[in-house]
Amino acid sequence: MSSPDFSTPSGVYDWSWFARGMANLFSLPALILVSAFIGFGGLAREAGVPLLQLIFMVPTIWALPSHLLLVGGIASGAPMLAIIAAVALAAIRMLPMTMALIPEIRTPRSKNWHLMLVANMIAITAWVHTLQKAPNIPREGRLPYFAGFAGTMMVTTTFAAALVHQLASAFPPFVMAGLYFLTPMYFAISTWNTARFRAEHLALIFGFCLGPAFYMIVPQANILFAGLVGGLAAYLIHWQGNRSRGG
Amino acid sequence: MYYDSFDVWWWPYFFIFVAGILPTAIWRWVGVVLVGNLDESSQWLVMVRCVATALVAAVVAQFVFEPSGALASFPFGLRLGAAAAGFAAFLWLGRRLLIGILVAELVLLGGYGLLQLSG
Repeated sequence: MSSPDFSTPSGVYDWSWFARGMANLFSLPALILVSAFIGFGGLAREAGVPLLQLIFMVPTIWALPSHLLLVGGIASGAPMLAIIAAVALAAIRMLPMTMALIPEIRTPRSKNWHLMLVANMIAITAWVHTLQKAPNIPREGRLPYFAGFAGTMMVTTTFAAALVHQLASAFPPFVMAGLYFLTPMYFAISTWNTARFRAEHLALIFGFCLGPAFYMIVPQANILFAGLVGGLAAYLIHWQGNRSRGG
Repeated sequence: MYYDSFDVWWWPYFFIFVAGILPTAIWRWVGVVLVGNLDESSQWLVMVRCVATALVAAVVAQFVFEPSGALASFPFGLRLGAAAAGFAAFLWLGRRLLIGILVAELVLLGGYGLLQLSG
């Protein structure tokens, strides 16, 4: 398989790995992600977001926390600036994730625009999986493998969310509730699993406790405050610990 | 400015672009630009990861404490119990995503079924 859009005539990438990336559609993380977007399709409908806007936002934003903050903000009538701030802060995760993945999947002949393009597909599911698999894939096959998996997930989740947006009223409410509940469990567990520093586990616990606490004080911006205060507190404890160990 | 500020067809798409797409994508682009220059283990990056993780945790808490839609009709204790049971099962039964999610769903939907039967 070859793609004239990406590879130069000499062939920077081995596109046979694209199909092997696609095959991950039939894996547990893919199933959970699709289920989470089924739930999101229902949420978007309840928030009053029309079908075409849902189809537009799923693959272009491509980060479920950002989707939820945007649609939650729309539903609660939050001002644009508050939504921008919350989404931008939550999506900071993309920065270290991108910086961890790019060195693994680029080849010495990768152009910067290849990487810019493929970076737009970075989100937790395909990212975790590709980082784990990369050592067993030849370097020329890694970017195609990631693009194959992430691209397939983008198409499938968009389709799933759109379908449920149209059919949500046909499902009994407890089924929708069960689907919505997949998302927070998936976030909590995968974030815990991908944490590289003990401080991130601490940040997860602080954020969970501070979210509802700040809701009582600043209900419009509780996520923002919980993230900043909880995250910085976890970091300071980590930093103190390093200092006292002399590290 | 708000989602429903202007009654033209393109306004919601513009709103989604500015409030959802740009503030997410910008970090991916910055990541590609910085990747050659920044040390993976730099303290600045650890701090960024901590804030980002706490933000996601706050989003998770929102589902348990102040959910919207169908989840809101479930009792708070059931939502909290299901999340706690799922996470505990993940931690202590081999760190498997599937086990954590199955236990959480089982407690949530099973508990709801029991409440319906008894009440």
